[in-house]
Amino acid sequence: MPLRPFQLLFATLFLPIVLTSAEPGREVLFSRDVLPILSDTCFQCHGPDANKGRKGDLRLDDEADAKRERDGHRVIAAGNADASELVRRLLSDDPEEQMPPPDLGRPLTSTQIATLRQWIAEGAKWGKHWAFERIERPAVPETAHPIDALVQRGLDETGMRANPLAPPETLIRRLSLDLTGIPPTPGEAAAFQSESIRNPQSAIQNAVDRLLASPAYGERLAWDWLEAARYADSNGYQGDNERTMWPWRDWVVEAYNKNLPYDQFTMQQLAGDLLPSATKEHILATGFNRNHMINGEGGRIAEENRVDYVMDMTETMGTVWLGLTLNCCRCHDHKFDPLTQADYYRFTAFFNQTPVTGAGGSPQTAPVLEIAPPEAIAPRDAARKVVAEQKALLAKAAEGEKAALEKAVADAEAKLKSLETAVPKVMVMADQKEKRPTFILDHGLYDAPGEEVNVGVPAAILPLLGDGELDRLSLAQWLVSREHPLTARVAVNRLWQMLFGIGLVKTAEDFGVQAEYPLQRELLDWLAAEYIESGWDTKALLKTIVTSETYRRSSAIESPSDFENDPENRRLARGPRFRMPSWMIRDQALAAAGLLQRGIGGNPVFPYQPAGIWDEATFGKKTYQQSSGSDLYRRSLYSFWRRIVGPTEFFDTAKRQVCEVNPLRTNTPMHALTTLNSTTYVEAARVLAGEVIKSSGDENARFTLTGQRLIGRAPAAEEAAIWKRSLARAKEAFAKETGAAAKFLAEGESKTPAGLDPAEHAAWAALCLNLMNLDETLTKE
Amino acid sequence: MNASHFLRPDSPAPLREHQLGINRRHFFGRAATGIGTAALASLLGRDGLLGADGGTLPAPNIAPKAKRIIYLFQNGGPTHVDLFDYKPRLHQLHGKAVPAEYLGGKRFSTMTGDPSGKLMLEPVEPFKQHGQSGAWVSAFMPHTASIADDLCFLKSLHTDAINHAPAISFLLSGAQIPGRPTMGAWLNYGLGTGSQDLPGFVVMTSVSKGTSCGQIFYDFYWGSGFLPTRFQGAKFRGSRDPVLYLNNPDGLSPTLRRGLLDDLAELNGMKLNQTGDPEIETRIAQYEMAYRMQTSVPELTDFSDEPEHILAMYGPQVREPGTFAYNCLMARRLAERGVGFIQCMHAGWDQHNSLTTELYNQCRDTDQPSAALVQDLKMRGLLDDTLVIWGGEFGRTPFIQGDLANRERWGRDHHPYAFTSWLAGGGVKPGITYGASDDLGFNAVENPVHVHDLQATILHLSGIDHERLTYRFQGRYFRLTDVHGRVVRDILA
Repeated sequence: MPLRPFQLLFATLFLPIVLTSAEPGREVLFSRDVLPILSDTCFQCHGPDANKGRKGDLRLDDEADAKRERDGHRVIAAGNADASELVRRLLSDDPEEQMPPPDLGRPLTSTQIATLRQWIAEGAKWGKHWAFERIERPAVPETAHPIDALVQRGLDETGMRANPLAPPETLIRRLSLDLTGIPPTPGEAAAFQSESIRNPQSAIQNAVDRLLASPAYGERLAWDWLEAARYADSNGYQGDNERTMWPWRDWVVEAYNKNLPYDQFTMQQLAGDLLPSATKEHILATGFNRNHMINGEGGRIAEENRVDYVMDMTETMGTVWLGLTLNCCRCHDHKFDPLTQADYYRFTAFFNQTPVTGAGGSPQTAPVLEIAPPEAIAPRDAARKVVAEQKALLAKAAEGEKAALEKAVADAEAKLKSLETAVPKVMVMADQKEKRPTFILDHGLYDAPGEEVNVGVPAAILPLLGDGELDRLSLAQWLVSREHPLTARVAVNRLWQMLFGIGLVKTAEDFGVQAEYPLQRELLDWLAAEYIESGWDTKALLKTIVTSETYRRSSAIESPSDFENDPENRRLARGPRFRMPSWMIRDQALAAAGLLQRGIGGNPVFPYQPAGIWDEATFGKKTYQQSSGSDLYRRSLYSFWRRIVGPTEFFDTAKRQVCEVNPLRTNTPMHALTTLNSTTYVEAARVLAGEVIKSSGDENARFTLTGQRLIGRAPAAEEAAIWKRSLARAKEAFAKETGAAAKFLAEGESKTPAGLDPAEHAAWAALCLNLMNLDETLTKE
Repeated sequence: MNASHFLRPDSPAPLREHQLGINRRHFFGRAATGIGTAALASLLGRDGLLGADGGTLPAPNIAPKAKRIIYLFQNGGPTHVDLFDYKPRLHQLHGKAVPAEYLGGKRFSTMTGDPSGKLMLEPVEPFKQHGQSGAWVSAFMPHTASIADDLCFLKSLHTDAINHAPAISFLLSGAQIPGRPTMGAWLNYGLGTGSQDLPGFVVMTSVSKGTSCGQIFYDFYWGSGFLPTRFQGAKFRGSRDPVLYLNNPDGLSPTLRRGLLDDLAELNGMKLNQTGDPEIETRIAQYEMAYRMQTSVPELTDFSDEPEHILAMYGPQVREPGTFAYNCLMARRLAERGVGFIQCMHAGWDQHNSLTTELYNQCRDTDQPSAALVQDLKMRGLLDDTLVIWGGEFGRTPFIQGDLANRERWGRDHHPYAFTSWLAGGGVKPGITYGASDDLGFNAVENPVHVHDLQATILHLSGIDHERLTYRFQGRYFRLTDVHGRVVRDILA
């Protein structure tokens, strides 16, 4: 690929897109233009929170209150901006009168004031927060792909030009990484390229179908879900005992692979146990709710733990499905969103029927589901019986027989313990028979119950359907109802974020009043409507997105001015370009070397980790037992996740302590050291180098294969010249220092193939390691 | 000493670039590519330093006194009534029931449960006054006593939390629930770093040998919460490799690595030209920082340039990685190198049943190094603009946990209503005691200092108005002190 040297001649300052503005001749919309200003600058003191902080007996979140007459004036006098106290206060330069109070240090901009003036002058038409409005499918012309048509509208408005399509070698790498988390093999890439020449449309359709059908697809989507579900293989907190929730993780992979519709996916995880004729799989799915941390710290009050767990279940549901930050309402009414503290505790009432008491700290606290073949359960049950029998004998034994029987009990217990570990127990949901009352807790404290509340949902979002006994299943059904304004928007936004690096709503965790008004509102709504009306078909939705031109565009910044106007690519003139998640970087390195093991599911594994990490974090109580053989090369999804100290090779991952849906993408020296020096990468570079050397005697052919494996393309001539220089440096260094090559090649457990010259092999390995650290290798572009 | 500590958003542009860790000269020198100031500005904006993405640190209006902070955090709740907060009346009431008027519906850990009827326990060791200031310090802390005139004791601290993890989280992040940015992350975000070769926020942990009850060091104690993760504490491990993956692979020489990194930068520079993605420029800079850390970190941890008398000051454990003494000396070396926030955490102050046993080890391992650090900084003229803070997440009950007749197992339970910390240097008045608890060390009664007040004061000493260092997240502006906190002006020098 020829390099296009072009200097970026940027102007002196970058101007982000102003999402909210009063543009001449443009209608002011309440939900887009007005509500964000009121919410951001006024609601802290004049918002929904009735408990504390509301000032001046004024609510600006309530139309009637904001417009009512007070002592001869109105805060908002519809149709007359100059007669409105709001405008007078905003413009006042008297510090006693000025709003917001100058000591808050957050004055409105002149544009914001102009917007409010225009809105009042035009009649102060009130509305609803956009995300609480019903999802309607916007009309799109039938001539183009609906996504492209909607994106083009925005580009036309701003006069921006869309990038050309990415070349096939870029596109197939992008698709493979996005849909499976694994780069294309050189064979797959070549097949795609040649088919693209003949028929670009069928090439992309076939490639997408192949990738969506790959078992790796489920593994790729599962990672993000596991982060949202705060999945880990230990409890967290002191002790951090190991749990066996991994069968639930495998359920997630399988659910994605068989394309379980998202409404089913939702209902089974939130309330599978309550489904009519619930199957074992349905119950297994409810492990979702039990992935929270468990606190076994001495001195903890059981009820306090139990309340914590229920709140965690509630807040996780809130973030994952509603895209709302419910946690604010633990202690007070929401400052911004029309959610009250009572709403919060009504939500908790759905989860409050758990039989879990919060006592103990067992990583397998009942209710549990045993997941094992009968051949594991039968001997365990037999061993349980033996222990019971031996104990009974011991209890009535004479003095002389005691010692022998004590030993027999100990032996039986040891045998049982090993058989018990062969039977994973997944913590799952159930509701206790006797209804537990739910109270509003003052400041969220378990021991400060106030008014009793029943299950319920905020009417501002959508009234709860049906009547009779309401339980978690009613909640799940409410979430996936066609009328629900949030669930589909929130879900499609996360998928968009996975592909484009940033959601159509930037705050995937917050669709509340404080969230930005989506620049591509119609696109978001179209996708959400499409998702629901397709029967919540996730694979179909992804296919729709990735076959659009919007997704397939080149990610290069073609025009300096376009970049200045839209540094984050919110207008979607460019394709996505961002550093891959660290787990994907690891999987890519293993795949490029041919080391990646593709088996699905099962017990977590223990890949390379420097010695002493667990010991230090647990005062020597836990020591990392590294896997050996093929378990070292399983996909990152299967790495054992100790909650208090996660796997060291990953960075910018969710901490798996509470629900996280917003990816971190930082750029630190520690990350560089990981991919430059850790065993995984050094070994993968060595193994890749061995394959490259064996593939051909020709240096250029070797370069081509190396490039294909790592960046999906052969190097350009200028690049190859630098690769050549690196190789020469390495050859010289290894020739100079006796034994250095052998040492470098000794890293990692896998065997080096016979017949390779160590100096040459080491030099190629050094080159491959360097190339694994190319920005392009680390980036999906 | 690097002159450019704590660069601010209003610093001249070249310093701002410096603050980002971008050594542009180095980059342009080799890669010969160009990128305009807009890209740099967007980079800054994306990282929030200029406020384009939520960062809102306005021009400073307070003269910064502390250019760097060393927090000697004592996990577990050091027993204020046995160490610093002398209450003679505890001797009189020793073995008598706790007076009911002190309890008033207070909540204690489940280990205590209902506190009424608990027996009062006198201090285990005698107290004496020390120095010109006449500060009371017990015989547990002879070295700290010897520098009493350099210290400001806060004896009226109080907190909201009663168990370790929430209380530590509360003190370091302003919230009991994990996940908010910690003090070091806020300062790193707000002020940047003064070091080109090291991260701006460094954390080290230790625990005394033979401690039966050590608390876990959760990574949220130095987390960046919703701030970008490059502001989080870089946790140095307590072993020969304080930074993971720092060493080149065996057999790959530093010279070869340098050459390969030059080639890598050139290749990445080509990509930058081709795609115009400013993130590539950051990556080039961070790979350069990684390389510098490969040199700066071993140099940092090589104590061979420390004279014997300095090492001796810190005590016998100073050469052992992972001890508090080692970490204190590391803290001084990090401070000298411009690192802005250094958090040394030492676990094991949780004397539920070990006041007459393990507490001695605890003090032996921490007293001398803490005092040595203050003296060492003072000798080098660094104490004036370095703030050292010593203290834990709460205090311990003035009544006993355990059996009065069994002295070997005397203990005290968690006590959030009054506890003591000391501060030194960095714009704090030396040789004073501020605030007081009541005559039993039970409640903070004179000039109470809430945890949010301490946080506000620490930020103030760094030149930051705690109400203005905010970050927008989930639609709300967050700050370290939530909606509370007032600067304790009486202790400002």
